Amino acid sequence: MNTNRIVLSKKSKRFLEDLRIYLFSSGKNADEIEDIVEELQVHLIEAERDGKSIDNIVGQSPKAYMDQISDEMLTDYQEWFTYIVIIVFGSFGFIIMNDLFQGSVSYSLLEIIGYLSIATVFIICVFQAFKYIAAHNLSKIVEYVIFYVLGLLPISLYIGLIFLNEVIETPVIHLEMLGMIITAILTLALLLAISYWAKTWAMLIILALLILPDTVLHSFHISETLHLLLGTSISFVGIAIYLVIHSKLSRAHS
Amino acid sequence: MSTTQMMKGILDGCLLAIIKDTEVYGYELAEKLEDYGFHSFSEGTIYPLLMRMQKEELVTSTLKKSTAGPRRKYYSLTEKGESELQHFMERWQTLQASVNRVLSDETK
Repeated sequence: MNTNRIVLSKKSKRFLEDLRIYLFSSGKNADEIEDIVEELQVHLIEAERDGKSIDNIVGQSPKAYMDQISDEMLTDYQEWFTYIVIIVFGSFGFIIMNDLFQGSVSYSLLEIIGYLSIATVFIICVFQAFKYIAAHNLSKIVEYVIFYVLGLLPISLYIGLIFLNEVIETPVIHLEMLGMIITAILTLALLLAISYWAKTWAMLIILALLILPDTVLHSFHISETLHLLLGTSISFVGIAIYLVIHSKLSRAHS
Repeated sequence: MSTTQMMKGILDGCLLAIIKDTEVYGYELAEKLEDYGFHSFSEGTIYPLLMRMQKEELVTSTLKKSTAGPRRKYYSLTEKGESELQHFMERWQTLQASVNRVLSDETK
């Protein structure tokens, strides 16, 4: 039974993945996407067994074919919206948790609005980039350039926000002890809910690995340089180890 | 109406006709069409058509396990689909008759 999966050529597998990404970033319903991808997978497996290539099935332009399929599906922006809300608030939760452990929680109005809009802009750009890459046969170099620019985008926007925040004065929201505790509970609840929804503890584990080393090191009296160096190394080595274990586990699982 | 649209309409009718008698899944449908002489179209074209026909409730589908790997999606005709097939056959007869008359009269 397993041989059938292996039989599928690289090109066909790539096409199915691209199709999935294209439809997803076009805001299509996840169940419907799985449906058509599974159906085409069956078709491709049998066609390849009969010695036909994917070009016979998809035609000259994969992009045109993806569009034909996309046109027949309802656009389901509600699902898209859910993802955006989850990612935006999830990342905001990350920032808040980090600041809570540092002991300073005060944001200007501009910062709050800025964080939320940067995250939203970033996600929309990510979706558009994936859609573009999935539909066009790009060279690896062009793909890397797109991802590179995409990666730089939020960083440069954040830097812009920091400077803007210095120049423009907006009301500052400063949290006292009680406020911090309430915020911590709410944020943790949010992160837990998202983790439960996504059925993975990855986010919380990575968050803990980012925050805890720094906090623990605070109780030792070491120089600031060593503190910074140790803190970041422990965080990143920890995350790397976690990712390796995670991928081994999920591979063993499948 | 562009040629591709006309072709799609004809393919729609042929798909309905093939589905009418037996439950079939996508690959079988494509093979049958090819056996009947439709060589110039790419096989994948049938899926957007099937998706639309399902949305219009002309066909329904069920997933069935196969011995040879992932589940296949089998299509069958609804009552609405049967009457659409009747309409298609009537339209096609008229069209075919007209085209034949034009060709036999004008190309003597």
